[in-house]
Amino acid sequence: MPSSKSDIRAILIEAAIVVIAGLGIGLAANKVSPRGLALSRNYFPAGANQSPVAPRQLQVAPVAVDTNESPAAAELSERLRDKGLQELKRSQVETLLRDPRSRDGRVVFVDARNPDDYQAGHVPGAYELDPYHPDRELGNVLPVCQAAEKVVVYCTGGDCEDSDTAAILLRDGGVPGGKLFVYGGGITEWQAAHLPVETGARNSGMRSDSK
Amino acid sequence: MTADQAMWRRKAFEAAAVLARWALGALFIYMGLKKAMHPEEFLKLTRQYEMVHSPFLLNAIAAGLPWFEAFCGALLLLGIAVRGTALTLVAVLVPFTWLVWRRALALQALRAIPFCAVKFDCGCGAGEVFICGKLAENILLILVSCWLLSGVGRAFCARHALFSGKSGKI
Repeated sequence: MPSSKSDIRAILIEAAIVVIAGLGIGLAANKVSPRGLALSRNYFPAGANQSPVAPRQLQVAPVAVDTNESPAAAELSERLRDKGLQELKRSQVETLLRDPRSRDGRVVFVDARNPDDYQAGHVPGAYELDPYHPDRELGNVLPVCQAAEKVVVYCTGGDCEDSDTAAILLRDGGVPGGKLFVYGGGITEWQAAHLPVETGARNSGMRSDSK
Repeated sequence: MTADQAMWRRKAFEAAAVLARWALGALFIYMGLKKAMHPEEFLKLTRQYEMVHSPFLLNAIAAGLPWFEAFCGALLLLGIAVRGTALTLVAVLVPFTWLVWRRALALQALRAIPFCAVKFDCGCGAGEVFICGKLAENILLILVSCWLLSGVGRAFCARHALFSGKSGKI
């Protein structure tokens, strides 16, 4: 152990230098890294001040209300309500995917996961929008969503809030809240139900069997 | 014990310390870079601890800490400012271990399961881990850091100390 006061002082000064240099290098590396975070951005907008959308704006096929909803599902619904976002169940999303409007851009799907996960498998025809790097795709996705009648945003599902963040990004970008929906079950639930999944780029035509 | 035996024991002890320094350094580089490759994932995990409420501070922690870890790992591996780095790691690991423990307690209460059955991604860079194993690992890392803080593992150091202390040991 340090044997004298001067040793202790030297170690403390050394540690202070390590901390200062480390933090400086850390923030500089983040700045130059293509995956770096924007320090001034709020990645988790609460959106609590957004007024919830009136029920009449929900025009997709209604599903039976599950009175035995699990605590996790209830928590998810409450979370979306707090952010002024509308939730869709899996059967509603399936209906929308089969809807002819999903082929002419009036129903749009947005995948709010990172590019690697998107490439591994997404809802067929879904646009990619990583909410942590919106500068990459927002410019392309926003006009499409503005022109659409319904926009369905999803991520992994469950605790994943990336779909909320992406939906709020779109809403802040001018997409009316009335046509924005979040598929709470996300791709995990979608794949578990063996629903169609497209791999690679959007409209690549490559399908994979969901497991 | 003969003089030879004592010398060999000292050498073995020093070699173990050097290996411990390299292992600790390599581990921090690996964990740091793994997190730095996906800072948004680390940001989400950092947020779970509810340490800070300012988005700027949260982003700064999530953006800077992985690189900071890798930097400390590189210093240990190269043998630069070893004792200052070891002290820094102790100062980071102790509060982090407390945060992990506190979060595990909260999850245990929420899931109503035994403490050691709690499994979650603590943001350590190793994905989902069982809490008891994680706490044991962190305690081991703290002990190794304290050992290096005592001044061992000087062989193969580019510059073990940045400054010279009065005792001449530094």
